[in-house]
Amino acid sequence: MNSAQRLLILLLCWLLSVAAVAAAPQRVVSINLCTDQLLLMLAGPDQISSISHLAIEPESSFMAEQASRYPVNHSKAEELLALKPDLIVAGQYSASRMVRLMKELGYRVETFPIVNDLEGIRAAISRMAALLGKPKRGKQLIAQMQQRLAAARLNRPKVKPGAAIYQPNGYTSGSNTLQDVALTLAGWKNVAATMGIDGYSTIDLESLLLARPQQLFSSAYAPGTQSRAQQQLNHPALKRSTQGREIVNIDYRYWICGGPMITEAVDQLQKSLPR
Amino acid sequence: MQENEKLLILSLGAAVIFLFFVSLFIGSNPVPVFQAAREAFSLSLSADGKPSIIAIILTEIRLPRALIGAFAGATLGLCGAVMQGLLRNPLASPGLIGSSSGAALGAVILLYFGLGYDHIYALPLGGILGALGATVVVYFLAGRGAGTLTLILAGVAINSLSLALISLLLNLAPSPFAVKEIVLWMMGSIANRSMNDFLIMLPGVLVGWIILAGTGRALDALTLGEETAHTMGIDLVRLRWRIFLAVALALGSVVSITGSIGFIGLVVPHLLRPLVGYQPRKLLLLSALGGAALLLTADICVRLFPAGSDIKVGVLTSLVGAPFFLYLIIKGRKYES
Repeated sequence: MNSAQRLLILLLCWLLSVAAVAAAPQRVVSINLCTDQLLLMLAGPDQISSISHLAIEPESSFMAEQASRYPVNHSKAEELLALKPDLIVAGQYSASRMVRLMKELGYRVETFPIVNDLEGIRAAISRMAALLGKPKRGKQLIAQMQQRLAAARLNRPKVKPGAAIYQPNGYTSGSNTLQDVALTLAGWKNVAATMGIDGYSTIDLESLLLARPQQLFSSAYAPGTQSRAQQQLNHPALKRSTQGREIVNIDYRYWICGGPMITEAVDQLQKSLPR
Repeated sequence: MQENEKLLILSLGAAVIFLFFVSLFIGSNPVPVFQAAREAFSLSLSADGKPSIIAIILTEIRLPRALIGAFAGATLGLCGAVMQGLLRNPLASPGLIGSSSGAALGAVILLYFGLGYDHIYALPLGGILGALGATVVVYFLAGRGAGTLTLILAGVAINSLSLALISLLLNLAPSPFAVKEIVLWMMGSIANRSMNDFLIMLPGVLVGWIILAGTGRALDALTLGEETAHTMGIDLVRLRWRIFLAVALALGSVVSITGSIGFIGLVVPHLLRPLVGYQPRKLLLLSALGGAALLLTADICVRLFPAGSDIKVGVLTSLVGAPFFLYLIIKGRKYES
């Protein structure tokens, strides 16, 4: 096959995919947990061809129940080819090699960036909705989310008490994370962000205590398993420093991906506010 | 000689106490330690009242770390001295003959596969059984009165086997965090331990120490050879099992909390032996004090690295210990040729 022929085939594929867009994609494949969930929220019943295997895990996926109706993929190229997708949605960093290959083969691939604020969540919903030809549904979803957040805003205390996320191995979420966004929306002050921590980082026990959080939150995945890293959350100093309050667990699936489910995290965070 | 020994014990003891207090002053943040101690003390007197943060940092974070450092170091030093005395072998130490890695293996099995924190004493029990198993296997692999080389080879074999099993188990463990903790078990760390951890390790350590404390005379006799010791009324079989069991109790408890911290059990008795005229009995207490001082020092150094670097204390002891081990081998080779 000479290069002219290859070009011709590519062109043909491109034309085909353009035609498909015009008619709104009917066999969408998602290979990333975050795009899985947006897809499940926004797509029509016959638009989804396959979702990633993580989407059916109830620990990590907010849409696990809906996801169970669709075939799963493990983002392998052969798998995807067999599905004959007319749109592949992926995360910015997911399986980048495979994504490149699929693009070279002429498939339409849309990648979504990692989201760490509300603006990003709204943009991701709008974009997914537009790709699926369901802009109205997107607007509706955003409006619902805004409504719930506005309701949460009314419950916020005047003086924000300090709180922090504390994870196995001493990880915390600083500014520019969905955890920080949710804490702030719920009416807490994220002491890790105040300390100048940006993104996800470890925080040593002494520094955490000296920042004087009134409440600690964790977001465990793999509950029921044991390790030294997880055991660190049971350090007696943590409980004593928060006047005996236990670490409150917020389900991982609410904020591992950016989506309207962040409102669930906000609601749960508000339940722990001092009354 | 007698005066000299007393002086040694006093000065090493003073060093341990000094390092223990220095350890309380070192942390990621400057904390007014005296004020914290006053607040912690007055709180324990008053019936209620909220503990201040600095008091909590002192009593719940720094104090257990210093205590574990002192007790774990002492155990490692003491076990090294006793092992070297019993096997009459300068290279016998918990790290080299497999006791430590056996203990780590036992603790890993219990911690990551469900029992570890349901029953708090399951963890040291795993360590104790692992240490005992590894020690006994190495001893019988090498055979009685084995030469240095055979013993070390048997130790190497059991060490490798234990470490391989630890890696395998941590890879298979249900917890997603387990794999990254291989380093912790192989190098040892006393960071972020709590008072509970200290209390979990304490009973085994104390019982082990008490049993070992009485073995000094028998070890002295043993320096004259097994036959002679036997004629002096030493029951060798009993002595051997007594020491294996006591070492397993103390070392197993320590390793299940700290991971296997290397080389303290090898280096400390070696450095101190010439100072007490090569008498095992006098070496026991001194090695315990020396081990405590060494581990406290290493742990203080680890904390002087910038916050967040998370260097394991065992890395430091091995950095000092491994060259020393090489020196011993070279010295031994000269002696043999």
